[in-house]
Amino acid sequence: MLEQQLVNALTLGSVYALFSLGFTLVFGVLEVINLSHGAMFMAGSFAAMTVVTRFKAPLAVGILAAMLVSGLLGLAIDALILKRLRARHAPHLIPMIATIGATTVLTSAAQGLFGVEVQRFPDELLSTREFIFGSVHVRALELAIVGIAFLLMTTLFLVLRHTRQGRALRAIAESPKAAALLGVNVEGLFMATSFTAAALGGVAGLLIGLNFNSVTPLMGQPILHKGIAVVILGGMGDIRGALFGGLFLGFAEVLSKAYLSSQMGDAVAFGLLFLILLVRPAGLFGRVLERKA
Amino acid sequence: MEAFADFWATYSTLIFTVGIHALLALSLWLTLSCGLLSLANAAFMGIGAYTAALLTLHLHWPFPMVLAAGALAPAAVALVIGAPTLRLSGVYLAMATLAFGEVTRILVLNLEITGGPEGLNGIPLLTTWWHIVLILAAAGYALARLRRSRMGRAFEAIREDEVAARMMGIDVEGHKLAAFTLGAVLAGLAGALNAHSTFFISPREYGFENAVDILTMTILGGISSLIGPVLGATILTLLPELLRFLHAYRLAVNGLILIGVVLFLPTGLWDSRRLRQLVGAWRTRREGKP
Amino acid sequence: MNRATKHLLFAAAGLLAVSAMAGDLKIGVAEALTGGAAQYGVPIRNGFQLAADEINAKGGINGNKLVLVIEDEQGKKEEAINVFKKLIFQDKVLMIFGPTLSNSMFAAGPVANAAKVVAFGTSNTANGISEMGPYIFRNSVMESDVLPVTVSTAVKHYKIKKVAVIYGNDDAFTKSGYDVFKKVLEDQKIPVTTTETYVKGDVDFKAQLTKIKATNPDAVICSGLAEEAATLMVQARGLGLKVPFIGGNGFNSPKLFEVSKTAGEGTFVGSPWANTNPTPANQHFVEAYRAKYGSEPNQFAAQAFDAMTIAAAALKTIKVTGNLANDREALHAALPKVALSGATGPFKFRQSVGKDGKPAGYDADQKPFIYVIRDGKFVLFTGK
Repeated sequence: MLEQQLVNALTLGSVYALFSLGFTLVFGVLEVINLSHGAMFMAGSFAAMTVVTRFKAPLAVGILAAMLVSGLLGLAIDALILKRLRARHAPHLIPMIATIGATTVLTSAAQGLFGVEVQRFPDELLSTREFIFGSVHVRALELAIVGIAFLLMTTLFLVLRHTRQGRALRAIAESPKAAALLGVNVEGLFMATSFTAAALGGVAGLLIGLNFNSVTPLMGQPILHKGIAVVILGGMGDIRGALFGGLFLGFAEVLSKAYLSSQMGDAVAFGLLFLILLVRPAGLFGRVLERKA
Repeated sequence: MEAFADFWATYSTLIFTVGIHALLALSLWLTLSCGLLSLANAAFMGIGAYTAALLTLHLHWPFPMVLAAGALAPAAVALVIGAPTLRLSGVYLAMATLAFGEVTRILVLNLEITGGPEGLNGIPLLTTWWHIVLILAAAGYALARLRRSRMGRAFEAIREDEVAARMMGIDVEGHKLAAFTLGAVLAGLAGALNAHSTFFISPREYGFENAVDILTMTILGGISSLIGPVLGATILTLLPELLRFLHAYRLAVNGLILIGVVLFLPTGLWDSRRLRQLVGAWRTRREGKP
Repeated sequence: MNRATKHLLFAAAGLLAVSAMAGDLKIGVAEALTGGAAQYGVPIRNGFQLAADEINAKGGINGNKLVLVIEDEQGKKEEAINVFKKLIFQDKVLMIFGPTLSNSMFAAGPVANAAKVVAFGTSNTANGISEMGPYIFRNSVMESDVLPVTVSTAVKHYKIKKVAVIYGNDDAFTKSGYDVFKKVLEDQKIPVTTTETYVKGDVDFKAQLTKIKATNPDAVICSGLAEEAATLMVQARGLGLKVPFIGGNGFNSPKLFEVSKTAGEGTFVGSPWANTNPTPANQHFVEAYRAKYGSEPNQFAAQAFDAMTIAAAALKTIKVTGNLANDREALHAALPKVALSGATGPFKFRQSVGKDGKPAGYDADQKPFIYVIRDGKFVLFTGK
């Protein structure tokens, strides 16, 4: 049983990591806890599902739709709300609350547009291909999620480290004022980050919605809670932290359900989070937010 | 007279809820006044509610004692987890208190004695309107006095600049713990009152969403004075009732209001300074002074 | 009180005055139309609406029209209380249908009971509901009537020696289903290899299913809602767990097949309703629902439809005098006497006993049908 549980943990952890990549990106660059990331996740899933069922488009188009719709929503939230709050140098709490408001608006809109029932993807898209290694069963789609999570993390990490835009983003994360003085297009990059992070959330929504074949307006909420835990565990703003924090959480959950009791899975996850915060608030990879003079 | 009786019969629960939410918003205000963003107040409310309900259902204690227990139980928990948790600040404190809240909720969900997911049922209706009015007034008075006292000023100093406060000799850890614990007391009271006004409680009422609701009410009203949280609680409790005709879209309106307030009224609806300015400007215009 | 409220109150008063004159029969409907429980509340409301529209089209009840006053209780207990109070004291309805969740009924039911107004739940299956008082009715068949038959039938058919159990432990509905299963298994002396839980909204059950597989049960008993149940079965098959499932009330929904496809083959479910039940009453309901709402009905819609039919039957026998208290009492007295055959089959009420030993509210007295899933459909199990 252990091998199967380890694989289960890997796939679940990758799901969490995939969701958290965009979430942590926004925090790292914009220093905002964007609680509307769950809604981005949900929007991407719905966008893909609509395109695929209503317009009978292939999955690739669905992926594009997910990225575009979520990305644009993220951009809109940034342009309409976050940007103004930045200009005002509002303390961190305020944008977070605004994103809560945005989430409520978006989930209500989704309930209004799509109804409250759980939606599904059409059968043709659901591959039931699975791989069996000894006593371990794993589905092709799950392996894809694991692969994509690692791939995205590596890509983002390399982009941030080695490209000019990446360096500019890291400069902004250090000090927006200094970056602006150095000629970095701070606002432009902020908006690009919002778009990208939301697009990532949308793709995560599509993949995860596809994996569990369940799309509902409220699907973003439970995973948002987990995402918060992941980002704290891994260190806010750190891409590697999102992946490893996600895996850590996945393992903690699965193994405690397997060997302790299935009731304690979530309690263990949050309990661990609590303890880790007490011992190392910055998380595995993060740096504590210094007070900027 | 008949009309009033009908009105009260229809809306009494709603009015009670306004009072209880006001109490919760004040509890959050208290912690915020010391610079602590704690999302644990919903969990403290739950601890108070369950303690009180269990005492009434199983031990049949008189109501005042039950209320006292409901206030003290979360305070005890706050004292225990406060010391290590309050070393964190800002966002990390918020997340730690959030995690604590979730763990509490899951524990309550799984314990036999708390009824699990089915909650506790058949709690007698012991809360009356004057309980709520009395306790709310007492809390308001106590908080107002606290603000002007040395402790209140210490809170303010800590909120403004913790490092400077420490250098001035203020016991930062002790004061933070006091604010955190007193907030838990108020939240627990609110929980105990609530439990005895709705027959039934379950773990679902004390989770993340509820913590966020309380935060929204407090911020909406504004934290510059005690009136703000009460106002915010009143508006956000009554608004869904008034907007009933919008059906599915009233939640969206809630969200829009939140965004609107954050963007355009950042200090909340009730901001003493802005009001003084407005009144001053109005007076000036009236008297024709330049 | 601000203008909006004043206007609303005026309008409500005006409506009241007009409707009182017309001899309309006002029935309150308090269901979760938004929020997490809306996936049940909306089909329930649809069921009521469908039945009421049909009755009105045929001339109403003794010439009076049925008017539904529909409110959204959002699946929250405070809202349920507020809505109940509004319907009782402001809209002055004859009786109330709902609320959706058992949790909400625990909170709002006593309000109706104290006001001597019938509260008729169609989706509350937790224990202790009708025990709250003599004005609490429900037609949702209790798990304790259905599950013993389901289990014994499945055990005989598959020659089951031991089972594993999994259930949703954060929902009163699925938890009380589990409590009943537990007792049934003890009574029928079937050992349990392991008991696992999950939380509503969970989509990944592989940890629990892997654990279950390792204990080698002959079947898996599941007390869950259709959503999670379907995903559970798919993931179970994906892990190589091939034994059959035995489901509680929550399995009974066409949604189950949307996800589980062939994964659910051989599952046993006991239920008061299935869309393939060939009785004319049921087929008429299914077709009418499909025509009006463009989707397949589920158990919740069916029970709501029948509940409205039951209430209409009771209303037919009473004389509406216009004195609200008398009319409500007359309806309360007439309701327990109704016995009919609806979309969910033959139905009558059974009175329960309250905590104080006095006779209390009314439960459904219905026999369950046992269904087995074959070729992706519920098929009535006839012993083969």
